[in-house]
Amino acid sequence: MITSTTPPAADPESRLRPLRYRIAIGIAVLVVVALIASSILNYAFLDTIPARASLYGLLAVALITLGTFILVRAFDRDRAARRKHLIRAGVLIGLGVLLWLLIIDVFLFTQSAGAGVAALCALACLPTTAFGLFVVRRMDRNHKEPWRLVLVAAAWGAIVATSLVVWGETIWESSAQHSLVPGPGLDTSLAFMAGILEEVAKGLAVLLLFLVMRDEFDDVVDGIVYGAAVGLGFNFLESISYMTNLYSIFNAEGFGWAAAGIQWYGRQVLGLFFGHATYTAFIGAGIGIARQLPSMRQKVLAIVAGFLVAIAGHFSWDAWATIFPIQNTLFGLLEIHLRTLIMNGPFTAAVIALLLFGIRYEGMNLLDQMRKEAATGRGAILLDEVPVLASPWRRLRQRLHALNRAGPRGYLQVSRLQTAQLDLAMERWHRERKEIDTPLEAEQHLRQRVMQLRHWVAA
Amino acid sequence: MSSVSYDQLGVLYRTLLIFATVAVVILAVGLVEFVYFEPPGQVTGAKATIVGVYQYEPTTGMVTGADRSEFPRAGVFAARVDWSSLPSGLTVDARWYDSFGSIEGQVGPDTASNLAGKTIVPVEVPQGYRYVLPGRYTFVVERLSAGMPVEVLGRRFVVVDRQ
Repeated sequence: MITSTTPPAADPESRLRPLRYRIAIGIAVLVVVALIASSILNYAFLDTIPARASLYGLLAVALITLGTFILVRAFDRDRAARRKHLIRAGVLIGLGVLLWLLIIDVFLFTQSAGAGVAALCALACLPTTAFGLFVVRRMDRNHKEPWRLVLVAAAWGAIVATSLVVWGETIWESSAQHSLVPGPGLDTSLAFMAGILEEVAKGLAVLLLFLVMRDEFDDVVDGIVYGAAVGLGFNFLESISYMTNLYSIFNAEGFGWAAAGIQWYGRQVLGLFFGHATYTAFIGAGIGIARQLPSMRQKVLAIVAGFLVAIAGHFSWDAWATIFPIQNTLFGLLEIHLRTLIMNGPFTAAVIALLLFGIRYEGMNLLDQMRKEAATGRGAILLDEVPVLASPWRRLRQRLHALNRAGPRGYLQVSRLQTAQLDLAMERWHRERKEIDTPLEAEQHLRQRVMQLRHWVAA
Repeated sequence: MSSVSYDQLGVLYRTLLIFATVAVVILAVGLVEFVYFEPPGQVTGAKATIVGVYQYEPTTGMVTGADRSEFPRAGVFAARVDWSSLPSGLTVDARWYDSFGSIEGQVGPDTASNLAGKTIVPVEVPQGYRYVLPGRYTFVVERLSAGMPVEVLGRRFVVVDRQ
């Protein structure tokens, strides 16, 4: 370990890294234990299709968990070892996904609506969810997150978080239905159930990313991106589940596809960004803000605050959406949109406000660091490059210019150079704020990479 | 403007705390709503006897067959309640709820003695539909206070198959 760099590294002997790995391992163990216990409990006490799916799905969940862990860690290894780890991760995730889809098809959807309907519903939800992930990732206009982590977040939302809530929701729902008066009281209880259990299950994925992949979790903007990605993943599987369920309920009446289609529109178009994506983005925002706060008390408060807003947003939709009556006329179509806007709009607006503020905050600090780096005269960032790097549009124009001059290869090389320069500015920012635990040599390594890329671009 | 002279992180943090305060208010309102509709201390000790749930013949208004907890989609069913098991002056009703929480059949509200002739409570096929919707149905006998159900005196669950 390097302990005597000049100037010294921000925190060369960080004790935080092992601590947060221990917390991450602790959470992962709890998640696995909860999954195993829930599956066994569900299977023993509830002879339902989801219970069987959750039991037989344990192996798939374990494969995906292990695969994603190897995947995210692979990029911290050297080039030679990385390839080997990537292949391992790919095989494990591939097996897990296949197994999971098989289980879902066989036990969950095929029995209610048939394999063909389940596949069509999944196909209908894929492009909209992909569009959602694309938009969410693009929101981080200064420093985009790697696709692998955005996809990992979405996969956790879709597979691990949905598996985690099955047992809790089944037990809560069953207890409430056996003890409460049907009507508003029961509905409120179930709204609390969905808000608390689903947001905690989704939030765990964001929390694990924060603990394990701190280098790719820079600030509030990253938190919102990862949180929204987890929410989109959860929304993807929930949409398929609701679509197939409603299809099977209303098919005998002759409008199964219409019921599934309305559900698709409500969840994958109208509610794509307004629902789960917004709620979990708040959890990400809380964790992202905590990432940069100095004291442990403030960190904990920020994370708890993010969870509270997410739970309240989810709760209010589930509990009070029915307050707005939807007429069975053409005007009802307008009312559906107004209801979503009125109920979820304020939460989405609030998370967008945090995002815009975060982008501005991040942008100002990156600009500051780029100027400081240029002033050192080391050549990684030149003074006349700073205005270009600070503007997403000017960066794009520079890449398009490279595309015109040297084709796609030129575009990619300039893109890599810009990314490396922004990485360097980000590293400098975290180091200045003493919120990084990699040694100063890591910054020098980034600088060398920029120089190497600059050489290629020039060539 | 440098990050040192104007750190906006504090603004973000305080904004999030304000949002969290609003969230706490929302959750508190939810809790109040729950307590309003599930008022504590509403236990009379009375128990309604639900004799069973049977296949129902809409033409005769009678039930047939044995007590069951599962029915095919094409079938119609009804619960039989023994109203004499309740104190005669108690204001009660009986309802069927489908899996979406909609009321699909009801008798009452009235006093238990006035409902003595309405022992069979059939589930209704929703208007415009050919069959009852599949899923889990809940049948409850409830006690009312000020027009609002406050206590469940008897409860049965029935599953309607998708096929």
